[in-house]
Amino acid sequence: MLKRIALWTLPILVIGTLFYWPMTQILGRGLKGNWLLTLGEPAVADAIWFTLWQSLVSVLLCLIVALPTAYVLYRRTAPAGRVLRALITVPFALPTIITAIGFTVFQKQNVNYSISGMASWLTSPVFWILVAHLFVNFSVIVRTVGSAWVGLSHETEEAAALGGAGRLRIFWSISRPQLMPAIVSASATVFMYCAGSYGLILVLGGGRINSIETEIAFAANQRLDLQEAGALAILQTLISVAAFAISATGARSRIGFDTHDITTHQPKLDQRDLPAIAVTVLALILVLAPLVAIVTRAFVAIDGTPTLQNFADLGGNGARNLLSITLEQAALNSLRNVGVATLLASVFGILVAYLLSRPSLVSHVRITNRVLDIAFMLPLGVSTIVLGFGYLLTFGSGPLPLRSSWLIVPLIQGLMALPLVVRIVYPALASITEELGEQASTDGASASATFFRIELPLVRESVGAAIGYAAIISVGEFGAASILAYGNQATLPTVLYQLISRPGGNNYGMAMAMSAVVIVLTFAVVFGASLPTRSRPLRRRREGALKSLR
Amino acid sequence: MAYATVTAVAIALSLGACTTQTSKTVTIATHDSFLIPDSLINQFKKETGYSLEGIKVGDAGELTNKLVLTKDSPIADAFFGIDNTFASVANKNAIVDGSMSAIDYADVCFNYDRAWFASNGIVAPTSWQQLTGVKYENLTVVENPTTSSTGLAFMFSTIAKLGEPGWKTWWAKMFANGLKVEAGWEQAYYVDFSGSAGHGQYPIVLSYSSSPADEVGKAGQSRTVSINRDCFRQIEYAGVLKNAKNPDGARALVSFLKAKAFQSSVAENMYVYPVDKSVPLPAAWAKFAPASKSFVNVSKLPFDVKRSTWLDEWSKLAGQ
Repeated sequence: MLKRIALWTLPILVIGTLFYWPMTQILGRGLKGNWLLTLGEPAVADAIWFTLWQSLVSVLLCLIVALPTAYVLYRRTAPAGRVLRALITVPFALPTIITAIGFTVFQKQNVNYSISGMASWLTSPVFWILVAHLFVNFSVIVRTVGSAWVGLSHETEEAAALGGAGRLRIFWSISRPQLMPAIVSASATVFMYCAGSYGLILVLGGGRINSIETEIAFAANQRLDLQEAGALAILQTLISVAAFAISATGARSRIGFDTHDITTHQPKLDQRDLPAIAVTVLALILVLAPLVAIVTRAFVAIDGTPTLQNFADLGGNGARNLLSITLEQAALNSLRNVGVATLLASVFGILVAYLLSRPSLVSHVRITNRVLDIAFMLPLGVSTIVLGFGYLLTFGSGPLPLRSSWLIVPLIQGLMALPLVVRIVYPALASITEELGEQASTDGASASATFFRIELPLVRESVGAAIGYAAIISVGEFGAASILAYGNQATLPTVLYQLISRPGGNNYGMAMAMSAVVIVLTFAVVFGASLPTRSRPLRRRREGALKSLR
Repeated sequence: MAYATVTAVAIALSLGACTTQTSKTVTIATHDSFLIPDSLINQFKKETGYSLEGIKVGDAGELTNKLVLTKDSPIADAFFGIDNTFASVANKNAIVDGSMSAIDYADVCFNYDRAWFASNGIVAPTSWQQLTGVKYENLTVVENPTTSSTGLAFMFSTIAKLGEPGWKTWWAKMFANGLKVEAGWEQAYYVDFSGSAGHGQYPIVLSYSSSPADEVGKAGQSRTVSINRDCFRQIEYAGVLKNAKNPDGARALVSFLKAKAFQSSVAENMYVYPVDKSVPLPAAWAKFAPASKSFVNVSKLPFDVKRSTWLDEWSKLAGQ
């Protein structure tokens, strides 16, 4: 018992210092003065309104595209289903700044749209923001709902189909009620992501469209209005925590690569599925279009001729020496940050998951555990802009002047990833703890031996997924880095943003070339991770491990 | 959990290791358009013994504000690029050690594409006040004052020249006349403007009086013309930051920026005029890019008090 309390102190210290302390600084700033009046100012109120309605519309668009896609890819046997399921997760794994860059290729056709008499919404930044949100997030709904759909029984549906009910009717009256928890949970998650979207709105909105996030950055960076930034940060946190709470009640574990096997035999697609197939094809085109646009554009020079020069330029500092460091150095910074952030998130994440998963019969321990569970989950609901702003306020001077150290960016990224690691590993550990742990300990194994030699190997798929997510978060993180990473500490996303916002000379081509490289790497990683895992030999090894301990 | 302890110790150790820095390096925070040739960086090292490291932080506004937000432990020793619209912010927040030194200046004026007006048989404008006219419908692109210091400078020009509420009426007419707004100068000039590399769709762009010097074609003529009337004179400053780790190096650097060698580089590299009047300008400049002789008087504008109000008002007109 004492030992467990001792083990808790370290992660509590970490989250206390790196999360709750900066958050109290924000609260202090935001609640100074009349913060309600601040939020009522026209420009601020507009940003709040935009954030809310665009998140809601983004969710609806995602649902319209994702539900038929989930049906085709999870509820039916689609040709190359595994490949397609991996493909649609690429946008989610991609750094958002690259998504933004991809859509600027289409946005740049602005003039052509107006000349060809296309509807005015094609020239509107809002339209592209919504499409980009759809692109990034619809796979969250596909995966969550799809995973739930796989497990549903086919009998009722078949009976209804025999009775002459159409696909839509079957979905509405039979599948939908059963899928509701998954749909609500995934929608809330997407809402949270869209409300917290920063890089996409910054790039595609071009300064003309403001959300709460861009307004926080704008208030702090351009107007030095820390009170407004603080007030908005509090509001942003309330919105995302509310969305997060809804998403957490709906599904037990929504995250993870294709960890479950889709072994249940699903029926083949037939003619009546054509509308759903059409939507799925559209979704796949949506996923591929900006990626293909970037990759092709990477091989085109300013004058429109094919070239490899954009890739050769990656070793330089851009037109007119725009960048303080080369893209290669920025990539190395990002890699280093991924290393530190992933280490921090997985060590403390697994430790917390381990401590939370210890069964307890004492009720006050169970209550404490529940409180700690929530305390370690809260950072999931806080945007990186908010946290980056909090770090700027907290660690500039004072007892811990972290801001001038390169560690500040990986620390913030590690902290963002930590709750995800807990959420992925904890349920996995909890599900095996009781049956295995007690068995081993009655056989005389020590707690740490049981953990390292039995439990950890058993949940290694979850640990792998958790580390993968931590790495994705760190690579793509833009908000905090844009506030805190300067000069030679720039990361890949911040350097890409510099290039895309100063597109003169070869800068635009360089942004395309670097994005193309990252896209190819992301494809490699996502498809690598979704390859069939050999689970059977593993099971045998588990049993072997148990036996050897006995 | 030996792991965790080891990590914590490792993090703590590397934190300590990071705060030390060699005093032989001097860092300068600048806006994104700062450019110093390698030869001058070497010369600076030869003369003073300091290696120069540059940190670029967005436009003049972002630079100023970032320096204010990080003033307790500054991100650099010196700065370059705070301009006369943001100098008051820097002074109010006491981020400068000593005083600021003017290094260069630039005139924010409109440019037009000579060939476009010739081939379309339209008379080119001679002042920005004319741009609300019907014949200039859908021809003009400017930078957003909320995201670009060029755009901000011009917004101040309209306020200084037309007063309240005249400046707002003028902008409203411009928006009705098909004004295009871009976030930054590079997008506006290099992508949308028809007279430069991007061959865009807009023959009039908000840029600088010096820009035509960069558009001189093979025939020895500039493709563009600057409308040198009622421009905004932007003065850029350098200085030593308070609490700098290397104040001596920073002072040496600021002196270097004021000396002949650097002063004669600014025209070629940053398209601005050196403050040192004895430094000659490149040959093409006298012909195509003389400094404007007519600019609006902005000395009475209460920049720091009214900036955000004006920006909000502008944004509302822009229909955000």
